[in-house]
Amino acid sequence: MILKLIGTALVFAAGYLLTHRALPLLFVGAGKALGFDMKPAPHWQKRVKRFKTMKRGYYSFLIITTLFVTSFFLEFLVNSKPLLIRYEANVSFPAFREWSDKLFFFADLRRMEKRSDFGQVGDAEVDYRLFAASRRDPGIFDRQLEKLDAELKDVKKQLASSRPGSGSTAEERRDYADLREIVPAIEADIELVARARVAFADGKASIIMPLYPYSPGEHLLDLPGSPPHHPDRTHILGTDDSGADVFTQLVYGFRISLSFALIVSGTGYFIGIIIGGIMGYFGGWVDILTQRFIEIWGSIPFLFTIMIVAAIVQPTFILLVGMLVLLHGWIGMTYYMRGEFYREKTRDYVHAAEAMGATDWSVMMKHILPNSLVPVVTFAPFAIVAYIGQLVSLDYLGFGLPVGTPSWGSLLSQGMQYIKYYPSLILTPSVALAVTLFLVVQIGEAVREAFDPKVFSRLR
Amino acid sequence: MHGMTTYFIRRLLLIPVTFIAITFMVYTVLRVVPGGPIEQAQLQIKLAMMQEGGATVLGGAESEVQIPEAAMNELKKYYHLDKSIPEGYARWLWGIVRLDFGRSYVYGEPVLDVIISKFPISIYFGLIGYFASWLICVPLGVSKAIRHKTGYDTATSVIVFIGYSIPGFVACLMLLVVFGGGSFFDFIPLGGFRSANWAELGFFAKILDQLHHTIVPVIGYLIGGFATMTILMKNSLLDNLGADYVRTAFAKGLSEKRVIFLHAMRNSLIPLTVGIGQALGLLFAGSFLIEKTCNIPGMGLLGYTSIIQRDYPIILGVLVFMVLIRLTGNIISDVVWALIDPRIRFGK
Repeated sequence: MILKLIGTALVFAAGYLLTHRALPLLFVGAGKALGFDMKPAPHWQKRVKRFKTMKRGYYSFLIITTLFVTSFFLEFLVNSKPLLIRYEANVSFPAFREWSDKLFFFADLRRMEKRSDFGQVGDAEVDYRLFAASRRDPGIFDRQLEKLDAELKDVKKQLASSRPGSGSTAEERRDYADLREIVPAIEADIELVARARVAFADGKASIIMPLYPYSPGEHLLDLPGSPPHHPDRTHILGTDDSGADVFTQLVYGFRISLSFALIVSGTGYFIGIIIGGIMGYFGGWVDILTQRFIEIWGSIPFLFTIMIVAAIVQPTFILLVGMLVLLHGWIGMTYYMRGEFYREKTRDYVHAAEAMGATDWSVMMKHILPNSLVPVVTFAPFAIVAYIGQLVSLDYLGFGLPVGTPSWGSLLSQGMQYIKYYPSLILTPSVALAVTLFLVVQIGEAVREAFDPKVFSRLR
Repeated sequence: MHGMTTYFIRRLLLIPVTFIAITFMVYTVLRVVPGGPIEQAQLQIKLAMMQEGGATVLGGAESEVQIPEAAMNELKKYYHLDKSIPEGYARWLWGIVRLDFGRSYVYGEPVLDVIISKFPISIYFGLIGYFASWLICVPLGVSKAIRHKTGYDTATSVIVFIGYSIPGFVACLMLLVVFGGGSFFDFIPLGGFRSANWAELGFFAKILDQLHHTIVPVIGYLIGGFATMTILMKNSLLDNLGADYVRTAFAKGLSEKRVIFLHAMRNSLIPLTVGIGQALGLLFAGSFLIEKTCNIPGMGLLGYTSIIQRDYPIILGVLVFMVLIRLTGNIISDVVWALIDPRIRFGK
């Protein structure tokens, strides 16, 4: 228990160092290697400095970014697959493989640890939990051997009684032959288990499980009682009604929710900046027509439309991102960007760039855009809050990510069904959601204050 | 005033364009993707035929239940599915113009009747929620502005941020589980518009029962705009307190109370009225999430269940109302804004 706490602390420390020491160094280094001047402009430096003085927002920023970066290594921390499994000469890293399979999904590295290679009977994937238990309790092998011996005896008895005589039919002969073939298979299994017992006793087997040895997609149906389960010592937040551990779903759901929100707001802002920029920079008919179009497009009840589509086509992550961006995400930023570009294009530096023969595109992207980023930065945290909320809402209504994806919203809708008996199914995802959004809002407030400070003066 | 009139006429003219664009898009989606109304109707007719001629159908097990060609065409004609998409849409639109929204597959009643029967419930919760948010956000925002940068301001800010971090329906869920679930307390009903035996209750018991069912959804509606409205109120009052006319009022020797509540307040409330249009949308159309969570049979829940049940006439009907309400709501908030603030001049 204490070891686990220390382990968790170490994980967070490592996550912090990676996020706020290693990654910035890497980013600046890569930029310099590519020939960019990575020193931020003085007014940006000033804003960042001001942001750091706002303790609430700055610490929220540290916490959220650390958690988010750490969550990309969740497969090593919260997983039913071990970090390392060793049996005789076989060594394997199942957790690492799962991680690389998810990260580099295009390179299909899927290989499975077969049971027979790790001292277990059968061809399926190794039962890691049984493997770990066998190391603590050698009696497991004795019981297995007993069972196999009994089976062998049983088969032999049957063989003796059904030996075909001259009067047997062809069918009886075939059954007898089939039965006889089982004998060597059972004998091989007995040999395998006996060998495993020796190997385990000699310390030729070892396994390292992650800190929290369960996976979100794993249905723990052999727990006592029927799911959902109340929280207890091993499943700190209980399980849901399919027997999947709630804590694992919460942490994997954090990664999915935040990634989803970042991708939607990122793509939405990208499109919004380009369209808003074009509107403000060129003005005239382009501006008027696009404005009318946005007025129409913005009146679409987007949640209802997404629900209609999602009811007919089972949405995937990409489809959901696409629909949210298309129907809603890009619109908000166009208003601000249109204004910014409209204002900036009359400035002297733009005229200078134009006089030097810069193309429209390069004036927009290289000269105006870097001076128009304040709304982008200040609204981003609030957009992330909104999109996390939207994903949770869609999942809650049942029009979100496919069933089986760990998600806060589907936990909430389950909790709704068990509202009388399993309050933790509602309370834990709600608290996770509220805390996450609260931290992001704190970042947003601090960023707004740092980038766009308001000074109120009043008489008394 | 001339520029304004043309502005509003232009806005009004844009309503039909927007309306047609949106409904045509959704109509096309519903027509193109499989599982559309004809499949639904087919399924229902099959079920009905199975029930009617149970024995014969079961007897001839191999023969799949077939809808006669003529009936099929009849059906297609009824939903204008024998026409191309543009023509079918035109006919549907013509129906809407004559207030003929078709019949619901599930309820078997005219869509318009179903929708209108759900309206009052959504309006009831929406109105209470809207007034409650004014009653809470305005005083809170004002007191925060007056005590800007004090301990009180920071403490209430934290509350406001917590409110911003909890989506309305999640707040409803948490309240229901804590106060109505029975695991902790059990004095709030688990959703519903009224108790089942409402009609038998006495006059005061009726009111009490209604209020009992109102609390949780109203808090859900309230929390949705709570943070934005409070902060808007605070910032707008702070802006006005720094303005020259307030300085003049102080210079005249007016008391602080008088300056704040009679002079600055009036101007500070203007930005808050911008939200009237959006509030109107919520008022009439309800919220899917809150109505589903609290099991309130309003417009939002109707829209949700109609999607689940693939009740296409209702889906389109709800869409029509949502779009129309939103479009008129936007214009109404512009009008209200222009009426109460003579400085606002739209169109130029």
